[in-house]
Amino acid sequence: MALPPNQLSPMEDPLRLLPRTLTKLYSLWVSLTYPFASLGRKVSVHQTCDWQRSRAYRIKLGTSVQIRKDAIIHVTAPPEQKGEPIIVVDDDTMIGPRCLVSAKNCVHIERDVIIGQSVLMMDHGYTHEDGKPPIGEQGGTEGGRIRIGQGSWIGQGAAFVCTRGELVLGRNCVVAANAVVTRSFPAYSVLFGNPAQVIKHFDPVRNAWVLGCAQTAETALPR
Amino acid sequence: MADARNKSRAHWEDPLGIFPWALSKLYTLWLRATYPFASMGRSVSIHYTFVVNRAMAHRIKLGNSVVIGKDVWLNIIPEATDEVNIVIDDGCRIGARSWISAKNQIHLERDVYLGPSVLIVDHGHAYEDPNVPIKKQPPMPGGRIRIERGCRIGQGAAIVCSGSQLVLGRNSVVGPNAVVLRSAPSYSVIEGNPGRVVERLAPSPPNPPSPSCLTGAMGPSSKSVEAPTPAAVSTESS
Repeated sequence: MALPPNQLSPMEDPLRLLPRTLTKLYSLWVSLTYPFASLGRKVSVHQTCDWQRSRAYRIKLGTSVQIRKDAIIHVTAPPEQKGEPIIVVDDDTMIGPRCLVSAKNCVHIERDVIIGQSVLMMDHGYTHEDGKPPIGEQGGTEGGRIRIGQGSWIGQGAAFVCTRGELVLGRNCVVAANAVVTRSFPAYSVLFGNPAQVIKHFDPVRNAWVLGCAQTAETALPR
Repeated sequence: MADARNKSRAHWEDPLGIFPWALSKLYTLWLRATYPFASMGRSVSIHYTFVVNRAMAHRIKLGNSVVIGKDVWLNIIPEATDEVNIVIDDGCRIGARSWISAKNQIHLERDVYLGPSVLIVDHGHAYEDPNVPIKKQPPMPGGRIRIERGCRIGQGAAIVCSGSQLVLGRNSVVGPNAVVLRSAPSYSVIEGNPGRVVERLAPSPPNPPSPSCLTGAMGPSSKSVEAPTPAAVSTESS
């Protein structure tokens, strides 16, 4: 799928210059005034990105990362807490419009990942053990850690929810639209459905994509 | 979804509404004047956040009274076939934040309503090469999508055709967040992920029955439920 038109020449439609310029100015502003844990070159952040400067020190953005319109990048740790970066986005990754990345422990998106629009990545949930107060007032769970392998393709509307442990998606995975991923999957898998299941995987012995999931760990390619 | 007339009245209810209304009107005029659409009908109403590549506009046809909501993206990829790739017939409503991405052809017949955040795509990324990131692999050949007249597509639904052709029969309803991978007959109700036909609705009679019919023998039930199509998702291959 081609990148959206705002990546093409501004001479194509002069009206396109206005939002492109705003995005460039906002990206410059953010790179100068936000105390990121680390920030790569050529980062492009749409001006409607919803995040907090007080949490920027827990965010790491690689080179040529794009964050598209109306994305929400949310670090739930309190501002006074020090520690490792919680949201890590590696080089050349694109986070699509209206994505919600909400991290309490770690959400690590590796390089060269395409993330479609309206994708949810949440490494924690809401506690709901107590039947009386509203769930929103009961605080969050301990949560887990999410890692998306390099070169993957996440379809529109997919959801990654990890309330405990680790959710690792191997490299070059395909997550179909509207899939809901709640556990780890090996590299070179095609995931589909709610809950997500492997419908295809790459077999290195046959050197081809075959239906179903890999039978044994030995047949899986290294991450 | 409010029709074009309601939208034009809406700004009188809250005077602040006049600004986005006026911007959309101006932007629609700008599109009509400067974008070389294959054709653009009368009374088209396009939100000012609409995104389309002007270099590909000649491959898009918009019918009369089409309404396009906020943040909609009509995309035709560079590897597209040489034809009109997106055809939207009269009376269609494209909900906010919907993405329609075409490589071959996506044809919305008349009076199709798309809810918010609907995805319609007739191709996918190739992913066969395990050594190359998927974003650097070319698109698949894909297929053709036709959504027949009168269909209603629910919020968040995804209609993906990676095979030869996907036809949604007339007056079908796709439930919210459904993922439709294969064709469905007319008057279907498709729900779930993967999408399955859960019900088939008989078409309404052209005239309402007269009172005398209500006391007599009733005909067959106006609703008929057919068994879902055989589960084919496990054999679905791109």
